[in-house]
Amino acid sequence: MAAPFRTVGLLKEVMHDYYAKGVQAKERGIPVVWVTAVFPVEIIYAAGLFPYYPENFGALAAARKAAEKLSAAAEARGYYADLCGYARCGLGDAYSKEHPVGEIVRPDLVFSCNTQCGSLQKWFEEAGRFYRVPYFLLDAPFIEGASTTLIKRYFVEQMEEMIDFIEVYTGRQFDFERLIEVLSLANEACRLWNEILETAALVPAPFGFFDACFHMAPIVTLRGTPAAVAYYRELKKELEERLEKKIYAVPDERFKIYWDHLPVWPRLRWFSELFAENGALVAVSQYTHSWTHHFDLERPLESMAENYTEQFVNRGFDYRVQLKMDMMKKYKVDGFVLFSNRSCKPTSFGLYDKRKIISERTGLPGIVFEADMADQRYFAEEQIREKFRIFFEQLQKRA
Amino acid sequence: MQTLKAKEIIGEFQQIVSDPAAAIKSVVAEKIVRVIGHLPTDVPEELIHAAGAHPFGVVVYDGTQVNRADEHLQTWACSLIRCAFGMALAGRLNYLQGLLVPTICDTTRTVYTIWKKVKPFNFMENFLLPRQLDRPSAKSYLLGEMGRLKARLEQFTDRKITAQDLYASIRLYNRNRALLRRLYELHVRYPEILGNRATYDVIKTSLLIPKEKHNELLNRLFHAVEQEAGKLKRKKAKAGVRVILSGKLWEPPSLLDILDETGAVCVGDDLCTGYRYIANDVAENGDPYVALAERQLAQTPVACFTNQKQDRKDVLLRKVRETRADGVIFVHLKFCEPENYDYPYLAETLNAAGIPALRIETEVGNVSLGQIRTRLGAFVEMLEGAK
Ligand code: SF4
Ligand code: SF4
Repeated sequence: MAAPFRTVGLLKEVMHDYYAKGVQAKERGIPVVWVTAVFPVEIIYAAGLFPYYPENFGALAAARKAAEKLSAAAEARGYYADLCGYARCGLGDAYSKEHPVGEIVRPDLVFSCNTQCGSLQKWFEEAGRFYRVPYFLLDAPFIEGASTTLIKRYFVEQMEEMIDFIEVYTGRQFDFERLIEVLSLANEACRLWNEILETAALVPAPFGFFDACFHMAPIVTLRGTPAAVAYYRELKKELEERLEKKIYAVPDERFKIYWDHLPVWPRLRWFSELFAENGALVAVSQYTHSWTHHFDLERPLESMAENYTEQFVNRGFDYRVQLKMDMMKKYKVDGFVLFSNRSCKPTSFGLYDKRKIISERTGLPGIVFEADMADQRYFAEEQIREKFRIFFEQLQKRA
Repeated sequence: MQTLKAKEIIGEFQQIVSDPAAAIKSVVAEKIVRVIGHLPTDVPEELIHAAGAHPFGVVVYDGTQVNRADEHLQTWACSLIRCAFGMALAGRLNYLQGLLVPTICDTTRTVYTIWKKVKPFNFMENFLLPRQLDRPSAKSYLLGEMGRLKARLEQFTDRKITAQDLYASIRLYNRNRALLRRLYELHVRYPEILGNRATYDVIKTSLLIPKEKHNELLNRLFHAVEQEAGKLKRKKAKAGVRVILSGKLWEPPSLLDILDETGAVCVGDDLCTGYRYIANDVAENGDPYVALAERQLAQTPVACFTNQKQDRKDVLLRKVRETRADGVIFVHLKFCEPENYDYPYLAETLNAAGIPALRIETEVGNVSLGQIRTRLGAFVEMLEGAK
């Protein structure tokens, strides 16, 4: 494996600052607002509130292999083990006295957007009840093909309702000029992030999906702040240096792979080693590309509505197949892996047919494997290893 | 008209439930209409009807088809959808020309797109419901969505939906709901004539056959029930255990047979295929589209929608009090996550109010009833003891 990134130190600092700000917010009476990963957080930053991402808490707990323990606390309350693992971690933490990965930051407001899924709608609703704080749902209707004026107007109207809600809550007028500043910072961070992801298309590449999973925290949480821009400038610089020094993500890269969608957090290392051993770089995933927004500053609300409702997870079958194939083409992959993630119905249902169709249309070998992004009880190691063994064999044969 | 016994008329309803294809064939033979299926039950059936098509609820299960969709859909999808999709793949829904899927959860949102890809009907649409119901934006959006659906239906049936047509459909559907609410009252009063299974089967039939026909059958049933009630020995309502059901559907149907065996009477529910289906009418004056939207927004709260102005726990508690129910039975379909998310807080609310509750997890199709029977029996016995 390649030497660790220098910017890891900076990443730790940036994220440490972010969490410290959350603690300070509590002390200074700045409201802590729970938000979802695909959410117009720019509004929260522009309003001077502190956004917190419970999904990150879930991913962190999963990566530290604490999901089962937290889940047990949720299951004891009557939640089933088939619910989304992030939700079980979040709810489990609320109901636990012990906090194996630190306590989730308690919200003053809970905002959820259901573009991704209904689990976030329900989990956050329940959190609002548990912490006895107001709950606000931004509702994104399903977009099968092209979006419609009706859906855009509905989302814009809801963001206006949300801004009204924040104004009443804080007693301050919302500053639209500030929103433009935040959006332009978000644009800059997203642009840099996209350029970073695109380096995975180089042969050989200095950066891949597993690196992206590691370095994505700021684009999710700090999008719209100078900190994210500064961080990705540094990371990009380091990647350029690595290219010069010929340091690559997978030392003897022979194959590029498309991965859909989330990683298996507690097995991040397991998978990255498995691929590296076989000379394969997981180059691209829809997941890490979710934060490559571009906002039109001339029409901020409309543009946010488009960016936050038209995400792939909220789209129809054909659109998603096309998007996957476009990414495969752009990154010139040799095969693809589709992760049927028990936690996540909206990204997993449909993968069986998608695998068939994509293989037919592209001629690429591809597999679907079953597991859970957080909960290792659903990880059948031997079966999965065998599935991948056959997959790598197919790749070798084609080479 | 020869007077039949209530039991025989109920048998006619149950015949339809067990073989809806035959019932639909006779509908189509009488009048050439297109049959548009819909998944339960948050769709404006009145609009489909006004377009000259017959709305058919895909709520009849051939449980044997539940595995039929496995090559397309993970087995951890809810069995309601697995079975509906499976029935279509097996050719058991070939009498439908269309399907309308209300988008209420991640499963409906995604399975619709797979279904459309691998086994499409001529007409396939989503009804893109708002999932938050308590802010003004929900209503204006829903009205727009109603308009979109109207246009799509008109396109498919090649016929304009006039306000007159729609008013007529609304009146017909209101009439049916009013009759069914009366039926439900009779059931609560005379459970020995109209048991749980019988009553819920009658409600289910309403989702299958034309309302004109259903109303006619219902009138005959009332007649028979009233005659038989007159002959009953007892003067006062029976003092059996009264329960409320909460969840998505009353599946598998034997669940209600088991309740009948225990002597418990369902006195209310928030099930999509139960009282919730008949609880709210559509206003018969004003803009009919506004009226349809308002009905949707006012429906009994369930897990898929966020509505802080009409909180589900308050509505459930009120229902328990109004119906003087002794306990609540949560009937949860495995892998239906919206219902699961609501369970702990509802259970806690009931617990705090001193209302006994039981949760059973069910599936469409092959479930073993032994354990359900034991648990339901014990629960009802416990309620009896507490009376
Ligand atoms: S993993 Fe899937 S189900 Fe869970 S919060 Fe994310 S999008 Fe929703
Ligand atoms: S609401 Fe529940 S039962 Fe209904 S389709 Fe969705 S998951 Fe299945």
